Amino acid sequence: MGVAFCRRPELEDPVLIASWPGIGNIGVIAVDALRGMLGAEKFAEIEPWDFFYPSRVLISGGILRQLEFPGSRFYFKRTGRKDLILFVGEEQPTDGGRAYAEGKKAYHMANLVLDVAEEFKCGRVYTSGAAVALTHHTMKPAVWAVPNSVRLIPEIREYENTVLMSDMDGGDGQGNITGLNGLLLGVARKRGLDAICLMGEIPVYLQGLPLSYPKASKSVLEVLCGNLDIDVPLAKLDESAEEVERNIEEFYRQIPSQIREQLDRLKYVNQARPAQPGPITDEEKRRIMEDVEAFFKKRGGGG
Amino acid sequence: MRREHPGRVHWNPGLDESSLVVGWSMDGGNLGRRTTDYLNRKLDGQEFAEIEPEFFFALGGVAVKDDLARFPESKFSACREHGLVVFRSDFPESEPYGFLNSVLDVAEQHCNTKELYVVGAMVGLGAHTTPRQLFAIASSEEMKEALNQYDLVDDLDYETPPGERPTPNSFLLWAAERRGIPGVSLWVPIPFYLAGMEDVQAQRKVLGFLDERLALKLDFGDLDQEIRAQNDQLARARSAFPQVDDYIGRLESNLRLSDEENGELVKRIESFLSQGG
Repeated sequence: MGVAFCRRPELEDPVLIASWPGIGNIGVIAVDALRGMLGAEKFAEIEPWDFFYPSRVLISGGILRQLEFPGSRFYFKRTGRKDLILFVGEEQPTDGGRAYAEGKKAYHMANLVLDVAEEFKCGRVYTSGAAVALTHHTMKPAVWAVPNSVRLIPEIREYENTVLMSDMDGGDGQGNITGLNGLLLGVARKRGLDAICLMGEIPVYLQGLPLSYPKASKSVLEVLCGNLDIDVPLAKLDESAEEVERNIEEFYRQIPSQIREQLDRLKYVNQARPAQPGPITDEEKRRIMEDVEAFFKKRGGGG
Repeated sequence: MRREHPGRVHWNPGLDESSLVVGWSMDGGNLGRRTTDYLNRKLDGQEFAEIEPEFFFALGGVAVKDDLARFPESKFSACREHGLVVFRSDFPESEPYGFLNSVLDVAEQHCNTKELYVVGAMVGLGAHTTPRQLFAIASSEEMKEALNQYDLVDDLDYETPPGERPTPNSFLLWAAERRGIPGVSLWVPIPFYLAGMEDVQAQRKVLGFLDERLALKLDFGDLDQEIRAQNDQLARARSAFPQVDDYIGRLESNLRLSDEENGELVKRIESFLSQGG
């Protein structure tokens, strides 16, 4: 049980970028889109059967031909500078119906991913996920960055459209990154490997909806590609982002006007820019959150 | 990562070669439980091993069903004269692959199991008066070939629909084939209104096949009598409740019932049968 390699590519000073599904699938869409745009090639896969229940069976002519499991695959791309290893997990390994990985299985998977990173002498690991934020879906999502080492903070401060947790309005650098997108950071720290989690903002009122949020994936990729000097046509993500936006607008119109008016005010919340006070007070923000929560609670899910 | 959880073997049945029959306790129409019970009863099955639940079940207390405290059970019996190993269990709540391998470890290492038969109910919209078919999904071409002399529907095409997952039976079949144990997954359609009770006809269908395939020489006189009794009960339910008769009549004509009518039929039949008809 471990990692099955179909080849072992020669890589130059590689960086690992990993992601698993989470809220809005922001991270996994970003990494998978990057894989597609770069034409990265598969070279290894984590053997799935101890982590996952099968996802699909194919029976034909009365014979069980194939049993498929959620994939956990490694891809590589030589760039001529820092080569890339991309890891895409189709599912987080969970026990007992939890939404996100935790416990032994998660820890084991994180270690397997980092075993590959270390085998190929990766100097840096990136993970990606979602940051649930007081923002509006018409706004460009910012990217929240969490490093696993203090020496990475000055570098992050140079990233475009990126904030640290301590930059949040009223924030003190505290928070949680749920599941493997976060756990990998911790396990990398334990191994002395530099890692940064980049989280694209998703509006708080969309976090429980069964939708992807590629607009935030694009924000994440802009930061990643800018930092790693990767040239890919990110506009390719715009089409899916626009389609999702149309669905969001449709949902948004169904929200009672009183709540919608409150949510509209999120266009003016600048949560990540405390130095520039917005037109909404903390008290108003609190009230917006209460109204939003009450609405989704009454609606019986989501939010 | 897979931890080894060998089954607890109480004594070695000393089988040179065996076939393994697997049924799950919570199957529709009580098929898994009844089929494995029947084999053990008729073939003098002796319990010889079990899989400890601690690695595979939450064990946060006990479930209570029909006034009784229940506990996950995963037990092996050997019917030594017939080279048969019977395993009945609840399906594990976690580590399913580890669990299935523990089952196969016991069967392979202590009973030299060469073939697997796993039993499952397929809850369907047909009426109980429709003759039961037995669907077979083999793990290999060779296994399919070996089964073509039996009365089986053996040309099924199926793909897991989006949002659903494969059955434990497919998982077990795949795990067995992976270690070189050929197998077949047997499925009997069970009328939905008998899924929460017992479907003796379905049980008879599966046992009939196993009897023929494994040369068990079972006498089904008792089961046939039970089938007649259940059919009589269902006929009485139809006479007593014109609505039930109407619903079942429509199912016999391949017509669909509404969700509400389905629920009503289940309620009426379960109530009637549980009161002894």
